[in-house]
Order: sequence, then C-alpha cells, then structure tokens
Amino acid sequence: MYRRAASRRGIGKAAAAGIIVVIIVIAAAAYLMAGRGGQGAGTSPAAQAKPKVVVIGVTDKITDLDPANAYDFFTWEVLSNIMAGLVKYDPDTGKIVGDLATSWDVQEGGKVWVFHLRKDAKFADGTPCTARDVVRSVERVMTIKGDPSWLVTDFVEKVEALDNYTVKFTLKTPASYFLALVATPPYFPVHPKYPPKNISSDAIWGGCGPYKIQEWKRDEKLVLVPNPYYYGPKPKNDKVIIVFYKNAQALRSALESGEIDIAWRTLNPEDIEALKAKQGFKVVEIPGLFIRYVVIRTSQPPTDNVLVRRALAAAVNRTEIAEVVYKGTVEPLYSLVPKGMWSHIDAFKKYGDANITLARQLLQQAGYSEDNKLHIELWYTPTHYGDTESQLAAILKQEWERTGMITVDVKSSEWSQYVSQLRSGQFMVSLLGWYPDYLDPDDYLTPFLMSTANSWTGTGYNNSQVDQLLKQAQTITDQAQREQIYKQVQQILADDVPYIPLIQGKLYLVTSSKVVSLKVSPLMFLLYDTIEVSG
Amino acid sequence: MGGLARYLAARAALIVPTILILYTLVFIILRVIPGNPVLAALGTRSVPPEVIQEKMHRLGLDKPLYVQYFDYLAHALRGDFGESMVIEGRSIALDLRDKIPATIELAVAGFTASVLIGLATGTLAAVRRGSLVDGAMRIYGIVAYTLFIPWLGSLLILLFAVRLHWLPAGGRLSPLTELHVVTGIYTLDALITGNLPAFVDAVKHLVLPALTLGIVLGGPYTRLVRVSLGDVLHSDFIRAYRARGVREWRVLLYALRNALIPVVTYMGLQLALLLGGAVLTETTYSWPGLGSYLYDSISMRDYSAVQGTIIVFAFIVGLVSLVVDALYAIIDPRIRY
Repeated sequence: MYRRAASRRGIGKAAAAGIIVVIIVIAAAAYLMAGRGGQGAGTSPAAQAKPKVVVIGVTDKITDLDPANAYDFFTWEVLSNIMAGLVKYDPDTGKIVGDLATSWDVQEGGKVWVFHLRKDAKFADGTPCTARDVVRSVERVMTIKGDPSWLVTDFVEKVEALDNYTVKFTLKTPASYFLALVATPPYFPVHPKYPPKNISSDAIWGGCGPYKIQEWKRDEKLVLVPNPYYYGPKPKNDKVIIVFYKNAQALRSALESGEIDIAWRTLNPEDIEALKAKQGFKVVEIPGLFIRYVVIRTSQPPTDNVLVRRALAAAVNRTEIAEVVYKGTVEPLYSLVPKGMWSHIDAFKKYGDANITLARQLLQQAGYSEDNKLHIELWYTPTHYGDTESQLAAILKQEWERTGMITVDVKSSEWSQYVSQLRSGQFMVSLLGWYPDYLDPDDYLTPFLMSTANSWTGTGYNNSQVDQLLKQAQTITDQAQREQIYKQVQQILADDVPYIPLIQGKLYLVTSSKVVSLKVSPLMFLLYDTIEVSG
Repeated sequence: MGGLARYLAARAALIVPTILILYTLVFIILRVIPGNPVLAALGTRSVPPEVIQEKMHRLGLDKPLYVQYFDYLAHALRGDFGESMVIEGRSIALDLRDKIPATIELAVAGFTASVLIGLATGTLAAVRRGSLVDGAMRIYGIVAYTLFIPWLGSLLILLFAVRLHWLPAGGRLSPLTELHVVTGIYTLDALITGNLPAFVDAVKHLVLPALTLGIVLGGPYTRLVRVSLGDVLHSDFIRAYRARGVREWRVLLYALRNALIPVVTYMGLQLALLLGGAVLTETTYSWPGLGSYLYDSISMRDYSAVQGTIIVFAFIVGLVSLVVDALYAIIDPRIRY
C-alpha cells in the first residue's frame, strides 16, 4: 500500500512539474506578447502620448441611447453631450442661445417658429446635419410615441424643412416657452442610421454634439471621444469614460481608491460631508432645480379638508429637515417653483416653520383635539431617493406629532410598487421629488396643479381657476405678464395646499485633485467638453 | 454504466419540469406584486395616460395573463427570451449572453476560495483539536454562514480598497484597461490575447468578491473537514503510517484525501447557494453579472428579464447537479445507480 502510494506520489510530482512549466511558458509568452503588442491589445495607455482622460463614476443608469424614448436625468445628460439641439442653455449666463440654429423668427404670435441652421454641422462620421435631419428626427419621435414624446406631440402640429438649413415648426397653440422645449433631447437631430419607426436603445451613432461614442458596455462603461467634425470649440480632454456603480458606497470607494476622477450622481450627504474634510478631493456644489415635496390627497377625508392640509403645512420644520436629514446639503423651499427661477415667491412662508400654535388652531377648527386626534398615513419609498428617505419620513412624523393632535403611521413600499400606488391615488400623504423637463415655471406648476395633467401624483386636486390661469400663461409671450400669473398660482397653491414644498436639492460632485475645471449646464447636466484635467 | 446513463437521462428529464415550475412561480409572483415595468420606468414623470397605454400595448402587457404566460413560454423554449420591457428593443438573450461569463468567473473564483478557506481552516482545527485555534475555527464555521455579504463586502472594500489601496473597490476591470473580449471571462480572455496587464487587473478585481463569497461559503467546509479529518486522523491506517515513521505532513495529506469525500458531496449541493450569494456579491461589488442583472430587473419589474434569468439560473443549477452526480459515480466506485 505504501509503495503504491509512493508511485502515485511520483506521478503527482511529474504532473506538478509539468503544470508549473506550462504556467511559466504561458506567462512568459503572455508577457512577451504584451510587451511587443503593447500598443494594440495591451493596456499601457500611460506609455502613449498621455491622452487627457477623464473617468466619471455614477450610480445612475443609461436607459435608451435614443432621444425618442429616453426620459431620465442621466441619459439626457449623455445625449446632450453626444448630440446637439437647435438651441441650448449657456452655462455662464443661463440664457437660451443658438446651437445648431444661428437665429430664429417667431411668427403668428408664437404659433410658428422658424429656425435658421448653421451650415457646418456634421455627424461624427462626417455626414452633414441639415434641416431635413431635424425634421426626420422630430417626426421620428412623434411616430415612435415613446415616453418623452409628449414634449413634442403636445405642442407641435407640423415640422417641415423649408430648405436645407431652415426648419419651420407650426404649433397647435402658441407656446411661450417653446425654446425651452426645443432645448430638450426629443428635439435633437439624430444620425440617419437610427431606425425611423423603432426605438434603438443601444444606438451608438449619436448626433452632431461634441462627442461620439467609442465603446458602450451596458451597466459597465461608456467611452466617449471628441467628434472630429464638431463645429464648436474642441473639448478640453481627449476621452471621457463613464463607469457605472451599483450604489453610493461603491462610488465613493472608487473615488477614494483613485479609480475615478469625478464622483457624480449620487453620493449620500454623509459621503459629501466626509469628503469635504478629506485632502485631495474637491466638493463642487451645483445649485439644484430638484425639489422634494409632500403630496396630499385632496379627494378623500380627512385630507380633503383644507384646514387639515394647512395645519400639516404649518407644522413642518424645513430647517430641521435640511440640517438633520440632509446635513445642510439642501435648502428649505417654500413654493413648488424653485428659488432662483423667475416668478418664484416664498408662498408657504405665511405658515411659518414649525408653527405649532397655528397648526393646533387649524386642527381645532377642523374638529380635532388631543383626545380626538387626526390620523395620518405617510408613505415613502426606501428604494428611489436614497438612504435618507426613511429619516425624512421619521422626522416629518415627529414634526406633525409635536402638535399633540396628530398621530402618524409611516408606511413604505419599494419604488415600482410605490409609483403604481401613487398614480392610483392610494396614498393619503406621500413623499415625492421632481427634476424639471424644461426650464420654465410652467414645468413646476402645470404637471402638479392642472387638473388634466396631475393624475400621476394621485392628489386629485382640481381648481378651475388654476387650470385657466395656467393655460393663459402658456400662450402669453410677455414674460412680465406670465410672471404675474405664476405668482398668483403659487399663492393659490399655498392656500389650497395640495402639496407641501419641503426642500430644494443641490447637486454635488466630488472631484480628485486631477480635475482642474468643469462646467455644469443650467439643466444640471455635466458638460463633458469643459472638463479639464492635469497631466 | 448502463445504470448510470439511465439515471442521468432521468435526472436530465427532471430539469424540464423544474424549470417549468420555477417559471410559473416567477410569472405569478411578478404579476401579483404591485407595480409594472412601464410605471416603474416612468417613475414620477408626468406622462399622459395615452402614452402609458400605448406602451403597455406595445409590450403586450394588455393581453390576458394566460396569453402572456404561453407566449413567453413558447418563445423561451426556442431560446428566445424576448425583449426587455424597460430597455425597449434590448434582447434578453443578448443581455444574458453578456452577463453569464461574468457570473461564471465570479462563481468559479468564489467556489475555489471557499474550498481553499474551508480546507485550510478545517485542517487547522482538526490538527489542533481542543486548542484555541480549533475554537476560533469552529466559531468561524458557524458564524460564516450568518455573515451578511454586503456588510462583509463593505468591510473588505474599506480595508483593502479605501485604506490600503491594494485592490479595486468594484467592477471587473479598471476604466483605463483595454481588453479584447473573446469569451467574456476576462481573466481567460486576457490570457488568450496575451494581455498580461489586463490579466493582472482582472485578477485584482476578482480577489475581493471571490474572497467575500469564499469567507461566507467556506464555513460549512471548515466544519466538514474538521469532523471528517479528525475521524480519519484517529483511524488505524493513519496510526500505521505514523508507526512506520512517515512524516507528519505526508500523513496529513493521506488523511486529507480520505477525509474529502463528504466535502466533494457538499460541493455539488453548494452550487445553488453560490449563485444566490453571487446576487448579493455582484451588487456589492458592482459586478455586472447575472446576479446584478436579476436584482435590477426585479426592481424595475422587467418581467421578461426576470423570467429569462430565472430559467437560465434553473438550467445551470440543473445541469451542474447532473454533472456532479455523474462525477460521484466516477470518483467513488462504491456508488452505483
């Protein structure tokens, strides 16, 4: 037995020696090939002429690389970097300026818009980008009827090319903020390879923006390089790599371990606080147009009583929410129209913050007391607005219960269930957030208050005066007049309280010391061509 | 071997009803829980109801449930898992083809790590029976199983990636590493294409996720090896070796060979756990495999993606169990079918 074992051991030794030799040979061959073919298959980018590469980490995802169906913040950011629209927002002034269009005329009181295009615009493969591409792309959005198509179909009756460099839009009714709509991706011309009738979610042909897609691996990375035919200034870097992470913690770790240069959306407030104190990182604060608010169902008791809704508004302490939940990374908000946008007024300030006395008075008027408490069901989702959401719900519960006349049941459901319940009006009181589609007060008021447009919030709010005012404001071209109307609507909003504005979010990005400068558009999109990195 | 062939044929035939039952369960659960892919993708966007209806129609979600059930099944049987309901036009089969190699790579590495950790700790405990080391290993054997993967993963990331900068925090390759993908198993691809830096980078990315899986799944091996090796070390033939003056480490090797039979048996059983663990490991380490894909698809209610992934998972588990069964017969001549 011992001898047999020994002979087996002998074979084992020979086999082991063989394996070691094979490994050494493979390793040596691999090393030699890597060395010889370094420029081709090998990695060694550092050995080449040091291209300026920016690596951006995000926890967002790209949905459809197709403006006919993409309808989320991050995908719109990417599309805005690989495509160009007729107009765009100037990052320095915040005003709308020409991009593909050099000028435009407004005719028939805002019903007809004629854009004159530049003649040197080209797609990333050198194909000229003309008025016919704009028409084809906009008609494509109308045909496909994807998620953001309403931004076109609700407004545009007809789009036509008057010649190679003139596009004419005829609207259904005059829209004073049409330029803000034209700056959104559904109006971007796309490369002729995009199928005319179908969504192409992994399309890499892009548009005529500053970058083109070099490599796209869904959920892993997106590599962009400058579009050689771009008519605008040359990007300040040679390559942008976007890496997708699963959560904020992984994103922060990647930044701290030096794997990425910029940690973009979305780090937790705690991460931002911690990174502010760390050497070698820079926290960039971006004034945000993102708002958080409470939705109140106005169609069923007990919240159909406006006194109850006002009491809830009075008891809220926005400063406490901003400090405790968000560690000072957000600002208190007193209207649905965010601070910094024209027409904004602090409409809800009339209730004060944590005005317990007023809240108790209102509750008493509504028939509630310490013995007969108002019972509120507050809903939140733990799977969409980050880890702070349960804290936000908990603090609101505390604030309302401080009146001594309210009891709050906090309930939660995960995101996809939440939106389904929300739309069907199942929540008495719920927490939501909003990013703008286009930069205009209309986008902060109509989707919430217009009775024909607000079913998605489940509030059931219906006020014919507000409907009329909002419709009127949409067609007036004089901004001063519109401003007056929006201020009036915000006053009514604060009287009726179908929503309670809570906070206005800022966005944060954290960069490594390698990043020298960057710019963000007024829509809060990171402009990749402005990112400058050292060596 | 005729008996074995018959047995394996019977086992292979059982994979079909297993998949069918799983598919049915998943189909029902997905439709029972509130939410649907269209609303989940839209979130709070203020989209007109007509657009939502149009999309539901396009995705076939307005068809009766039994039609949806059989439609998908008929296509799946032909290997067509349909298109994503969230990323329109994206073929699920293509997605799965992209994700499977990543999961295989992680599963193999995690499996290897768990066996190595289990063997090392189990042997140490068996040899030093009754000592403090034995006590520590026994505690590990019990505690390992209760460790929450995201928690353990976060600790390892904090230590090895953030503090020490030894290893990357997540992903499969560094953003700047270029690799020509052949099989989708990056370590293998790097070797095939002779790209040594990419190989080193891929291995570095693999270490932490594999270690996490290895630590969590290594516990049962520790217990098995400890008990089994302990018994063998007290058997007559080991005593005979020692009496003949065979060196202790050689004795240990012989003993280990005999003690491994229950360990091999357990390896087969561990596969389902390994794939389950992969879901959490992949999410913690941003590893773009089947687990991450399943997690995302469930969150977004992507019915076709979840159904397709579950079918593939079931098929893999069934197939590997079959292979393990066949291997038993080959490894252990006492086993007859």
